[in-house]
Amino acid sequence: MHIHRSEKILSWTVLTVLVLTVLIPLSWAVFTSLKSEASVMAYPPTFLPTDPSLSAYKTVFRNQTFASDLFNSVFYALAAVALAVVLSAPAGYAASRFEFRGKRAVMLLILSTSMIPAVALLVPTYYLLDKLGLLNNPMVIIVLQAARLVPQTVWFMQNFVDAVPRELDEATQVDGASHWQTFTKIILPLVRPGIAASAVIGVITTWNDYITVAAFAPEVGYRTLQVALVNQVFDSIGITWSYVMAFAVVCSIPIVAIFILAQRWFISGLTAGAVKG
Amino acid sequence: MLLAVTLYPTGMVLWLSVHRTRLYEVVGGVGLANYATVLTSPAFLELSLNSLLYVSGALALVLPMGLASALALQNLTSSAALVRTLLLLPWTLSMGVVGCFWLWLLNPSYGPISYLMQSLGIEPGLMLGEPSLALILVILVTAWWSFPYVMVMMSASLQSIPAELYEAIDIDGGGLRARLRHAVWPHIAPTLGSTALTLGILYLTLITMILVLTSGGPLGATATWSFEVFSSAFRSVDLSPSSVISVVVLIVNLFLGYLYTRFTGRVSG
Repeated sequence: MHIHRSEKILSWTVLTVLVLTVLIPLSWAVFTSLKSEASVMAYPPTFLPTDPSLSAYKTVFRNQTFASDLFNSVFYALAAVALAVVLSAPAGYAASRFEFRGKRAVMLLILSTSMIPAVALLVPTYYLLDKLGLLNNPMVIIVLQAARLVPQTVWFMQNFVDAVPRELDEATQVDGASHWQTFTKIILPLVRPGIAASAVIGVITTWNDYITVAAFAPEVGYRTLQVALVNQVFDSIGITWSYVMAFAVVCSIPIVAIFILAQRWFISGLTAGAVKG
Repeated sequence: MLLAVTLYPTGMVLWLSVHRTRLYEVVGGVGLANYATVLTSPAFLELSLNSLLYVSGALALVLPMGLASALALQNLTSSAALVRTLLLLPWTLSMGVVGCFWLWLLNPSYGPISYLMQSLGIEPGLMLGEPSLALILVILVTAWWSFPYVMVMMSASLQSIPAELYEAIDIDGGGLRARLRHAVWPHIAPTLGSTALTLGILYLTLITMILVLTSGGPLGATATWSFEVFSSAFRSVDLSPSSVISVVVLIVNLFLGYLYTRFTGRVSG
């Protein structure tokens, strides 16, 4: 393809403007977390911290609930993704390989559950969990988060299994393997990239969620880092901006790390099925 | 295997149906009177207007931003990967984190943006506390956070355009305009549509960003349907108004979701 010089210049201009739009606010926030309480309020404000210190981070890590908030964030994210993958991978295999009555209806059902917004279920779910005494219950949170991930994971697995040639299954079955053996020995290893992509998206989604945990498990001991962060904004008494920024940075480091290390899977997870080729 | 695909969704539907029955039970006591009161109230009208402005405003920003960045990235021969990584950063952050960052940046007394405005001779006022400005600022922050999603989708779609198509236009002597009109646009339009719907659904059901930035204020200037469901459900004794709005969100969402399946042909298989 022939690209004119002027087009190149235009492209670079657009991207430079956007990169600056992204980076300046981000770095301002990160630099604020490295400032002292006094210099945060300095007028005129400075971009770079004049006396960089980690005291805000020390306060974050010294926070009494930090360890339990962090543990819950990690635990919910990993457990929800594991549950969603365990349920969705066989479902995706079956959806790809078997023809059975009502298959279309079942797939439609799975898909339509993904279109029922969590917001619309907020009130009834709360009502129900309250009656059953299941508020502030880690298992409930994991199941709810996994249920949110299942539709896209099933869909994604189905696409990946579709890409595996059927002759491969048939060959193993001629050798006497059962469907289950075909699935675990042949299909699963081949769709690992699909599992990785779903897992990366799932971990980021669950980690970043605020609403589900804030609504159904808001108490200390059950809440996550995201809930703790937002709560801090609300009881702003005695809280400094450098502290809030440090807390927000700490909440984001694991996610940004996963994103940078697994960017390929992150992108394939986002685009899966949404782009008509 | 069959059990896994049939049992699980059945369980899930039961799970959902329980919820919806509950919902109807809550509303059921007074019949449709609830709907009548809520849907005709001026507060509901304002919520609807805010939701509409929020969703359309954010879409009007993210679609051109995302499309422009995807097109520009495609023209880059070097450092495209680095630029893409940097541009994707906001989308990996949670709404809580993005909200906190911008709450600070937009802080009217110490924040850098109000300082910048002042040095340019503009009176920043209360920023997010300004009823006429708050929704616009929330839209801007939402766009900052979510345009990378459009970029990723559009990049993927652009990559699927066959090179021969560009070559053919090159041979015919067509420039940028011809390329955009005859090769790019027809190819990416469906993806652009489905991306807009996905994000429309996201914006319509989003709560955290608004909660952190403005808590729906000032004076309800940034309260959308979904925000109202969240805040009134945990504030008031009577769950029925927020249930009615939940149903409204559900219906609008299902409609958008239906359009989405039309766009992508996702259930055809």
